[in-house]
Amino acid sequence: MMFRVNLAATLVMALGFLGSAQAEESEAQLGRATYARANCVGCHKWHGNGGGGYGGAALSLRKTQLDREQIVKTVTCGRPGTGMPSFLRGVYDDDAKEHPCYDFSQKDLTGDNHVAEAGTFLRPNEIEAVADYVLKNIMGHGDPNLAECVAFFGDTSRVCEIYKPKTSHQMPTPSTQN
Amino acid sequence: MKARTLNLRLLAGAALACLISGSAYADGGPAADKPATVKSADVTTERLLNANKEMADGNWITHHGNLWGQRYSPLAQINKDTVKGLHVAWTMQLGGLEGGGIWSHGGLEGTPLAENGYLYVTDGWGSVYKIDARGGKGTLIWKMDPKTDHDWAGAVACCGVDNRGAALYKNLVISHTLDGRLIATDKETGQVKWQRAVANPDKGEVVTGAPLIVKNMAITGVAGAEYGIRGWIAATDLDTQKEVWRTYTIPTKGEAGIESWKGANSAEVAGGGSTWVTGSYDAANNTIVWGVGNPGPDWDNAFRPGDNLYTDSSLAVDADTGKIKWHFQHTPNDPYDYDSVGENVLVDVGDKKLALHANRNGFGYAVDRTDGKFEWATAFVKKVTWTKGINPKTGKPEEYDAGKDVQTYLAAATPTRDKALADFCPGNMGGKNWPPTSYNPELKLWYIPVIESCNRVTIAPEKALPAKSREFFTGGGPSQPFRITGSVTAIDVTTGKVAGKFETKFPNLGGTLATKDLVFSGEPSGEVFALDGKTLEKLWGFNTGGGVSAPPMTFQVDGKQYVAILVGLGGAWDKWFIDSTPELKTMQPGSMLYVFGL
Ligand code: HEC
Repeated sequence: MMFRVNLAATLVMALGFLGSAQAEESEAQLGRATYARANCVGCHKWHGNGGGGYGGAALSLRKTQLDREQIVKTVTCGRPGTGMPSFLRGVYDDDAKEHPCYDFSQKDLTGDNHVAEAGTFLRPNEIEAVADYVLKNIMGHGDPNLAECVAFFGDTSRVCEIYKPKTSHQMPTPSTQN
Repeated sequence: MKARTLNLRLLAGAALACLISGSAYADGGPAADKPATVKSADVTTERLLNANKEMADGNWITHHGNLWGQRYSPLAQINKDTVKGLHVAWTMQLGGLEGGGIWSHGGLEGTPLAENGYLYVTDGWGSVYKIDARGGKGTLIWKMDPKTDHDWAGAVACCGVDNRGAALYKNLVISHTLDGRLIATDKETGQVKWQRAVANPDKGEVVTGAPLIVKNMAITGVAGAEYGIRGWIAATDLDTQKEVWRTYTIPTKGEAGIESWKGANSAEVAGGGSTWVTGSYDAANNTIVWGVGNPGPDWDNAFRPGDNLYTDSSLAVDADTGKIKWHFQHTPNDPYDYDSVGENVLVDVGDKKLALHANRNGFGYAVDRTDGKFEWATAFVKKVTWTKGINPKTGKPEEYDAGKDVQTYLAAATPTRDKALADFCPGNMGGKNWPPTSYNPELKLWYIPVIESCNRVTIAPEKALPAKSREFFTGGGPSQPFRITGSVTAIDVTTGKVAGKFETKFPNLGGTLATKDLVFSGEPSGEVFALDGKTLEKLWGFNTGGGVSAPPMTFQVDGKQYVAILVGLGGAWDKWFIDSTPELKTMQPGSMLYVFGL
């Protein structure tokens, strides 16, 4: 993996597109990392299909029809009255000069307009990165498969095994320190 | 070696050590002021059955203190009069903070065990630590790391990277891992003797509870009802490592209870009924009493018409065969996720032999533990909106209608396929969740760690049985528009009435410990506190600086009583329910053992 990245980077360097390709690579990594860290994965699952769960009934990001701007807005503002939280700090502050989210401030968020605040706030560039990650790696994709699962989790765990034909396994070997 | 330990001491605590002893450099390192390691006697059935005497001697050799699930210690050096002098005796940093699957970090929910001055504790990923607690400080003797497959298990752990503790059997420490193994570790050396896969994360099964030792068996419960499992309780022979029995909590064709699953959807595919909290054992009847979790899918109860036995029930099984003896169901055809997985506390009151259970639905129940007959139920939360109450004759919610396939209880507070969104109290975490209650047999008071809550659920109807395992199968999900607080609430079991309530700013996510005249507990904001056992007046508190989501316990060594508690917010709260307690967002993950002494 490292090797491939380096190779690509070298190639790109030779071609003189260094800046943009590396930026793209790290942007993609930031997107995936944010998707995991900000708990998108907790509600929408690693594959984005969403569904029920303790995080609420999250919509499928594979089937979403939203465009980039709308995804950025949904993540920034959350969605009132649903389990989709807002990820940008302070967007509903009562004393803010502007109210970028539906013109709502905190006092409007009562009852059915409640918006949850995310457990982890994101910066605007992280929100853009995660939106691009959704657009490129999730939206429009069919059923989740082994390659996608391994791309998300890596291949050191049995987590992706259900996408493989049945194989048998040994239990991990415990180790003792004393 | 000597030089190195001296250096470590110099770095870590020279100033303090000088102050205390004046001769900090005369000793020879961490363990030198302790007597030589002693070998502990085998833990036998005899000793487990006499756990009350063990506790009087300063030990705590089974998960709930004794096999009756009481978490009551007769130790009384720390009491109403002395408790204000309680302070940190020592701490020990543990591990297990790594994330995995859908979790960004592990947490601590375990109850330490104590035997002969040694503690046995687990972290969230199931590492077991043996700690020498003699000489007024803690020294790590060994740590067994089971090398749990983090992503495999963590991706299907609905509610955190958790492990609630170990068990002792003969010269072994018996423990579980999140990825479904039962492990036997040599108590002296820390070497693993054997391991056995009991649960299978490929099916969405994980294990978080502590094993219960009954005779020569370890009893294991499973989690996974959010992922479409069919729940079970399993017994493993610890001498042969063979399975003795496995009792499914969801019946199959031809078994009693199957008539309570009326729809076309096959119950045994995804009926739920997890069993992830350690149960209790009544030797007089050779009966294990164990709590059973919610049906699957959690909220879409029209998917599963009927009462859905044995979900949301206390289940009594024969210890030798696993055969079901009786059950008592709390919330038939549950549309709220009010599981009954919590422990059953066995108590004698007059000539009544009771099993007590504090349910997520907000009611504390007493049933006859010999046959499951209902005795009484009392609301222990401040607010109940889903039912008018529990019928004093039948023990069923007043609105329960045996003629109905799909229950709606008080309709305004019940989400349905037609009215997908509803707010109800208590919220789906309860009431009272897994954190254990405790019972003072002298005062006859039962102390419940309470989540005073309401929340909102939106139904998303399930169209078919899950096509793949390891996917959430909940038929909707909760959100948290309301602030959630907590309390420790005492019920007088002679009257079945609430005897007192100590309110807390945050939900109680850790459980309680009862001693002769005190109750101990903690808060997710970091506070550990002691209350007067009779009045619930607060007598002592200390802020640990880390989230408490584990129960306190007490032990005695070198003639001195200590209170121990694991600190490091674990479980479901900081991922799924944090919006109801916004101040807790600043709590950082942690992993620390605190030991308090006078
Ligand atoms: C606590 C659970 C939760 C978390 C965390 C969460 N979501 Fe959501 N999300 C939801 C729910 C619930 C909905 C559905 C809202 C509705 O019903 O309209 C949703 C909807 C969405 C939508 C709108 C889809 C559509 O087609 O309308 C997008 C886009 C989205 N989420 C992206 C994200 C991203 C990206 C993250 C991480 C930064 C994230 N979500 C984190 C629960 C969550």
